[in-house]
Amino acid sequence: MEHTESNITPAPMLEARNLTKVYEDGIKALDNLNLKVEPGKIFAMLGGNGAGKTTAINLFLDFIQPTEGMALINGINANKEPLEAKKHVAFVSENVQLYPNFTAMQNVDFFVRLGGKTHYSREQYEAALHRVGLQSSAFDKKLKDFSKGMRQKTGIAIAILKDAPAILLDEPTSGLDPKAGIEFIRLIGELRNEGKAILMSTHDIFRAKEISDHVGILNNGILMAEHSSDDLRGVDLENLYVEYMAGYMEHTESPIANALKPS
Amino acid sequence: MNNRAVPLVFNLLFLNLLFNSITMFKLILLKELKEIIQSNRFVISFAVCSVLIILAFLMGAQNYLASQAQYEATIQENRAQIAANTEWYNINHTITLPPQPLMALVNGVSSDIGRNIEMRSRGELIAENTRFNDEPLFAIFRFLDLEFIFGIVLSLFAIIFAYDAINGERTSGTLKLCFSNSISRASFIAGKFTGSFLGLSAALLIPILIGAALLPVLGIELTSDEWLRLTFIVFSGLAYFGVFLTLAIGISSITRRPSTSFLLSLVVWIFAVLIIPRSSVMIAGRMVDVPNLDEIASQKNNYRIQLFDEDRPKLQNFSIPKGTPPAKAFPLFSKFMGELSEKRQDKIEALEERLNEELENKKREQQKLAFSIARISPAAVFTFAVSRLAGTSLDLQHRFNDSAKEYQKLYSNFMEEKTGKSSGGIRIIVSDSDEQEEKKNLDPDEMPAFNFSETSFKETANSSFTDIGLLLLFNLVFFGGAFASFLRYDLR
Ligand SMILES: Nc1ncnc2c1ncn2[C@@H]1O[C@H](COP(=O)(O)OP(=O)(O)OP(=O)(O)O)[C@@H](O)[C@H]1O
Ligand SMILES: [Mg+2]
Repeated sequence: MEHTESNITPAPMLEARNLTKVYEDGIKALDNLNLKVEPGKIFAMLGGNGAGKTTAINLFLDFIQPTEGMALINGINANKEPLEAKKHVAFVSENVQLYPNFTAMQNVDFFVRLGGKTHYSREQYEAALHRVGLQSSAFDKKLKDFSKGMRQKTGIAIAILKDAPAILLDEPTSGLDPKAGIEFIRLIGELRNEGKAILMSTHDIFRAKEISDHVGILNNGILMAEHSSDDLRGVDLENLYVEYMAGYMEHTESPIANALKPS
Repeated sequence: MNNRAVPLVFNLLFLNLLFNSITMFKLILLKELKEIIQSNRFVISFAVCSVLIILAFLMGAQNYLASQAQYEATIQENRAQIAANTEWYNINHTITLPPQPLMALVNGVSSDIGRNIEMRSRGELIAENTRFNDEPLFAIFRFLDLEFIFGIVLSLFAIIFAYDAINGERTSGTLKLCFSNSISRASFIAGKFTGSFLGLSAALLIPILIGAALLPVLGIELTSDEWLRLTFIVFSGLAYFGVFLTLAIGISSITRRPSTSFLLSLVVWIFAVLIIPRSSVMIAGRMVDVPNLDEIASQKNNYRIQLFDEDRPKLQNFSIPKGTPPAKAFPLFSKFMGELSEKRQDKIEALEERLNEELENKKREQQKLAFSIARISPAAVFTFAVSRLAGTSLDLQHRFNDSAKEYQKLYSNFMEEKTGKSSGGIRIIVSDSDEQEEKKNLDPDEMPAFNFSETSFKETANSSFTDIGLLLLFNLVFFGGAFASFLRYDLR
């Protein structure tokens, strides 16, 4: 699946090069990960619990240091020049927690300013909160009274307002109800269309397939497979995923896997 | 290529970085301020602190007014007692330590030392009537003074606010969200500390200012020197508060869980505030041997007996020259006895002075050691600083004694003038007249007045500034520790 016209491929906004992380206790959480996310693309990392998804995202944010390899944001090594690299990235964590004594508005204002954007008006904050589907009555409520989904939405609004070219999402739909989940996926699509490079981890196979340009399957820190959305068209990704997880691909012949194998 | 371009670009980058850091610092500072003020934790503890601080001022004021009344009563009683007498040698003149407003606010040792001294023309002066002696109930509970409130409440207040400063943000996940942005850890922790310090100390200043404003309302006028010292007492309080704030922030940045850091902070607090200051006295007591008062008294007594024994042969050898008329023999003997006793008295006093000096020196040595040990604890440093500023440190006792000794000379001269007798020795009064002249009552105004000179800001500045400096140093060290450990803190 090599790009034939690789010389005109835009530079990746997010890139992992031989990214390896061995924790202090000797657990190899990430093993030689290589991936690229270009502007206007969504890369979904699938993988079971403990597969290494959060580890990969933490490496991009310089929360942990890689054992080997590097994480690049807009070509900047995130672990060497974190302050520079983080200007280009917005982040929504698995379980968004904001300041409980602040209202949604105050939280948004603080984090957006922290993200370097100081020019927004209240109307623009409101518009962003509307866009993620938070009801107006909640704008000036304290976060401690928010449900998990409402917090998640506020976190996404913050990421949108930061207006960074790269977005990291760690299981962004985990707390959302089905309706909100659908809205969220639509929103992610819009962001992609605006030219953002999006790397997200998820357990949600269907959404991943629906929205992503690339899907990577992680197991035990190893990227087992990476497929473009074109490859996956018509393929039962769920079965594929389960097969990868079970490690079938290495030993046995699976019809689906066979279908995917380059001839 | 212009080779000056490189440093220029470098400078611009540096300036940009600095500018960014300051922006971030300000942002975090304001966030911290807002977050504190909007929390229930703040509302509740601020209310409690305010009540306690204002109460401390009120109680101090009341305490002062009561002491003032008692002081005046003692003076009045003394005057009445003098006025009731007709002979100066019959009076019992007592001098009293005048109360001061700052003494009431920061009690220090003022309630533990004797306030009254019965004057003698010569010899040791003993201060009696401690406040706690008169009102033993207070000895058990002590007074709710400003030093106590600050010492206990401010430090707890600081811990309550800062024990989860870092690890609380970690567990809540806001740390990760903050650091997904381009902010340095240095700006973050500096902003956090400054924000919480400014917010909380501004909050604390409100009840303090109200309390201070109440003093004149309650009829207590402070001199400008006293206002200045009170200002520095408050300043020391805030510096002390900062110590526990940085300490708790430091602890929260070496632990992962708020529950752990709360426990740890509390343990450190107990040691710093309650245990170290007390045990330092015990340790110093073990290390420096101070002779006890009974030992000294028996030493003096033995010496007195020894001197008397030495004089006995002289007494036996005393003979009145032959042919002396009996009327003159008695005064001669009396004079001889007087001289002997005066010599003995001089020797005893010399010994007394030496022993007292030795005792004083030992005591001071022990004290110095105890203070040095206690200074490990910021609470002790704070106590030293504010009691010095208030004039109620252990120096108060020395000061009172010194003033009393100074006054003793005046008194002694006065009495000699009035009674015509040199002080000390055996006083044999021979009334040689039968005529009953009209005896007039004494005029208490003739007695020289006792002036106790209060400590001034200038005098205390030297010693208290060392301790205030030490408090600032504690701030610096703990902040440095917090800073260093936060640089390596696992944000996840
Ligand atoms: N701080 C740590 N120290 C040691 N091991 C860790 C640490 N964090 C994660 N691990 C281990 O690294 C592996 C990958 O964890 P990671 O959190 O990246 O998985 P994940 O794919 O995000 O899982 P989940 O879907 O449950 O979020 C796991 O085996 C985990 O136990
Ligand atoms: Mg995870």
